[in-house]
Amino acid sequence: MASFKPTKIPLYPKLGEKVTQDTLYWKNYKAPVQIKEFGAISSIDFSPVAPHNFAVTAFTRIHIYGPFSQEPVKSFTRFKDTAYCGRFRSDGKLLVAGCEDSVVRLFDVDGKVALRMFKGHTKAVHVTDFTSDSYQILTGSDDYTCRLWDIANANELNRYKEHTDYIRCGVTSKLNRDLFITGSYDHTLKLFDARADKSVMTMDHGQPVESLLLYPSEGLLVSAGGRHVKVWDLLKGGQPLVSLKNHHKTVTSLCLSSNGQRLLSASLDRHVKVYNTTNYKVVHNFDYAASILSLALAPDDESIVVGMTNSILSIKHRKSPEESKEVSGQQRRRPSYRVFVKGKNHAPKQGDYLVSKPVKQYLAKYDKQLKQFNVSKALDTALETWTRLRKPEITVAVIKELDRRGTLKNALAGRDEQGLSRLLNFFVGNVVDPRFAPVLVTAAEMILDVYRQIIGQSPVVDRQLLRLQDLLEREIDYQQDLLEVLGMLDTMFASSLPRMAVPCPGTSRANGLAQGEAGTLRPQLQAT
Amino acid sequence: MAADTVSSSLQLPCVFSPKSRQYLALCAQDGRLRIWNTDSKTLHQEYVPSAHLSATCICITWGPCRTVKDGPQRKKRKSEPGQMEEKADLLAMGTAAGSVLIYSTAKGALHCTLDGGHSGGVNCVQWHPEDSLLYSASDDTNIVEWDLQSGKTRSKWKADRAAVTSLCVSPDGKLLLSAGQVIKMWDLDTKEVYRKFTGHSTAVTTLRFATTRPPESNALYFLSGAAHDRLLSVWQVREDGKDKNSVVSFTLTDEPQHIDLIASNSKEEAVRLAVVCKDGQLHLFEHFLNGPCKKPLSPSCTVQMSDTKDSPVPIPLLAAALRVGTRTVLLGYGNHLQPVMEKVEINTAERHVCLTRDVHASLSLSMETAVSKVKTPVVNTKSKVLVPGLPGHQAPIKGTPQGSDKRKKDTDTKEMSIAERLGEIDLSTLSVDKGAPKGTASLQMDNFAVLLLQGLESKDASILNKVFQTRKEMVIKKTVARLPLSAVLPLVEELTKRLQGHPFTAVLMVRWLKAVLMHHTSYLASLPDLVTQLGVLYHMIESRVKMFHKLTKLHGKLYLLTTQVATSDSSKSVTEVDHTAKLVYEEESSDEDEASGDEGLPDDGDDSNWEEDEVMEEDKDDPDSRTDSKANGEEDMEHGNESEEE
Repeated sequence: MASFKPTKIPLYPKLGEKVTQDTLYWKNYKAPVQIKEFGAISSIDFSPVAPHNFAVTAFTRIHIYGPFSQEPVKSFTRFKDTAYCGRFRSDGKLLVAGCEDSVVRLFDVDGKVALRMFKGHTKAVHVTDFTSDSYQILTGSDDYTCRLWDIANANELNRYKEHTDYIRCGVTSKLNRDLFITGSYDHTLKLFDARADKSVMTMDHGQPVESLLLYPSEGLLVSAGGRHVKVWDLLKGGQPLVSLKNHHKTVTSLCLSSNGQRLLSASLDRHVKVYNTTNYKVVHNFDYAASILSLALAPDDESIVVGMTNSILSIKHRKSPEESKEVSGQQRRRPSYRVFVKGKNHAPKQGDYLVSKPVKQYLAKYDKQLKQFNVSKALDTALETWTRLRKPEITVAVIKELDRRGTLKNALAGRDEQGLSRLLNFFVGNVVDPRFAPVLVTAAEMILDVYRQIIGQSPVVDRQLLRLQDLLEREIDYQQDLLEVLGMLDTMFASSLPRMAVPCPGTSRANGLAQGEAGTLRPQLQAT
Repeated sequence: MAADTVSSSLQLPCVFSPKSRQYLALCAQDGRLRIWNTDSKTLHQEYVPSAHLSATCICITWGPCRTVKDGPQRKKRKSEPGQMEEKADLLAMGTAAGSVLIYSTAKGALHCTLDGGHSGGVNCVQWHPEDSLLYSASDDTNIVEWDLQSGKTRSKWKADRAAVTSLCVSPDGKLLLSAGQVIKMWDLDTKEVYRKFTGHSTAVTTLRFATTRPPESNALYFLSGAAHDRLLSVWQVREDGKDKNSVVSFTLTDEPQHIDLIASNSKEEAVRLAVVCKDGQLHLFEHFLNGPCKKPLSPSCTVQMSDTKDSPVPIPLLAAALRVGTRTVLLGYGNHLQPVMEKVEINTAERHVCLTRDVHASLSLSMETAVSKVKTPVVNTKSKVLVPGLPGHQAPIKGTPQGSDKRKKDTDTKEMSIAERLGEIDLSTLSVDKGAPKGTASLQMDNFAVLLLQGLESKDASILNKVFQTRKEMVIKKTVARLPLSAVLPLVEELTKRLQGHPFTAVLMVRWLKAVLMHHTSYLASLPDLVTQLGVLYHMIESRVKMFHKLTKLHGKLYLLTTQVATSDSSKSVTEVDHTAKLVYEEESSDEDEASGDEGLPDDGDDSNWEEDEVMEEDKDDPDSRTDSKANGEEDMEHGNESEEE
């Protein structure tokens, strides 16, 4: 006896956004904790040592938050005016910050009063950082100078006056104590060597530079300014590698994920974009409520901290493994299931004699009905609410199977008002779907044939029919339009290409490698 | 670049006239000075400074009341004959360009301009209570004393190292308070510092004397509020000079924006204080000032206002004025462009009062034109209306009240309400469609190119949704036409994504796609990899139209059946017959064709109009049918039953 073949459910490609590893990874954060600060949050810095506190610079204060605290564990308020750029030293014990009143202050993280005051700048200091030997401080100011200071005696060691506009960002090398890079509103990035009196490298960003980032390997430099994010190869003498333009307003902050595989950029347009650092394509996007001024990632990407212009600090913590499993995975199986699967994954040993046992075929509900030739009931089962709404392909497959058997008419016939209206409702929902249309149109014609007599007797059914008609009318109009478009495309293809080319779907250019530059930039990318 | 622009918060000046509180003067975002009558709640006068866009008005102060000899708009009010004699007339405005304008409400015109005193923006102006003197403080660190008889500076002195942000003249006219970050008290006879008060860490924005007693009595108090500060501090001027710290502080919920107080004349009288904060709340305080008080005082009553919707949205209060002796408070709230004024009796026994007002009803009140002479600038037909905004942005975003700067010439003095203005914006493209241009084309609101470009660049879903929802053929065309070439392919890609949806929404996308293909034919045809670029789109469309034949047939069948039913069954209700009659298929399709064929023709007025109506109708239908398909609405009940059965 030939065994019953279950109805084959065809697999359709899912519409909508593709779920990638990145989306899963970056969506795996809890709902944000929001903290109101006193003013626009200009800088966030994570402490490099264990509890990984972070310093938030907003208005005249610097607050230090613990990894999970919602109240500041410490705050520095001894600023006469707006503070800028609170940065931790590599041992996490000292904190340096610039100020609108041009004085740079150095704090002990446990203390309250400034340990050192570095006076000498004549305008606001927006950039501060420790050098890698942690005995010196780099500052950059609105008076166009950047200076190196000795921590021990608060002396100015060196002064560089090469920029011709405000200096608003800078980084020190973590590998070499003498190297540092500053970015300025005069559109340039300059690499300085403390052993020389002049800059050793100058790069032109093209817009006022807002933020800088050095890769951990320090071969690549990322700069943000205007709407562009640019990547430079320092080892090749400051050659521009990539220019990204994925924001529609000024990019204000940059940040690298902990494994160095993803680059994040935050902008005034309220977005944070995540780029893959191998091909520089946007792989994920976060939306925030207000323009973003500062962004930081905790070590191991444990949390994403974002500071906004409306003085709100938003902290997203990563979900713990259990939590994330609960959400994404299935519900915990019942104990009986665990007994049921016992021994299922036992691998036979070498000498074991295998007795093959026919695998019992489990049939879906509708298949059971089909097997018993209860066509009408099979259709009913396939039209159950959950299936109908969540997996219409099953319903359609059953209808198709019934059609194949030639019993679809029987299955459709003999329904009461309610059943018919449910059926029509399903049709209204799915008949225009190009995946289902071939099957459903035939079925719909059959319905009309079967129920021609009773049309006009039930207001419920009539309304459904009118809706169906309305929908069809729209769809036909739409398809007419599409046909016109098709004609246009045909003309265009014909005029553009003398040779026959096979259109290959799937290639798409998505990233903001700006059109003009795209051609020249791509080969280089491959080279790197 | 980023942080700086944000920190400078824009505060729009807004002041009640002294004594009678008959007028509310305020300077809105569009740079115009408007004077509202608080009794009749109508616009009394409007004045557009000649340089209202470049030199915006930073501060306004009413001059001391004086007797007006003849005023055409003087109205006798029998109930208060005493106050009739004194009438607020002059109004001093400090501008960002450094000049001070004196405006006369009696004349309804500019009285004079005081120029040449300051090199920076004027932050504060104060009138001397008796003499005809005016003091102004500026960003250039100076205070200037103006003689109003001659219109010249009488003296000028450097008051601070930084910008001077606030001023206050004592009630007896002998002392002047000035403040940047440090508050200084000047002797006006000698122009020397009498006292110094330190304590604020940010620029002081408000200064007020709280008592009217002489400084010798140890009972002269004043209060100060600073930017970003949620406290009002009260300072005591002591004879022994030991007045280092503030004696009392009042806590607020946000930075103070507008302060009104009734000063105490004796020890037994409390100071009454009404503070409107930046967050739109009003706080009322009442306090007897004698000596220090350690704890910050919280308000005796807080007033908030919200609208009447299901999910109430707070309405910001703009200004509040106290009345001597009574509990009534005069409130100004809503929008700066059209504030609503109201006298409210506030029950101060309650600590928190929330008033609900229907702003929509009160905001759309039409103004009487006869009351005042509204000055409308004469607009040339050729001249363009400049709208404040970013350079290069040709399209101000729809719906912002600042943007409704446009004035129709033909409506002469009739002031439009906000609702009318918004309506005007919506209609503007339609009127162009009709080919019957009336007056100048209004706001340059006919395309979304900038917005669309931004949305495509950052893939901002909300922006894209907003742009793609537009139904107006002209807007779509213009937007696409102005789109830079580099954005064409991303747009096509985005459209491809959106084409796959339900026909109701996808129909709009086809319009966009058609517009793109029509306007950028040559660019697209010149692409070497055109086929690969548009391949996805092509395949998608092809697969969708495969069923065209069968669907059309089905539709025909269904159409026949339903019309049969409609004609045979004469006992149908009227509405249903209506419904079916709407679906006369032949006409519709032919019209559709026609419309798409000759959209370019300007004289298809009737047709396009009809189409627009149709679209609107569809618009109305859409949500219904969509919710239906999601098994809501009336069928909901039935589904519920079903699932129970199962």
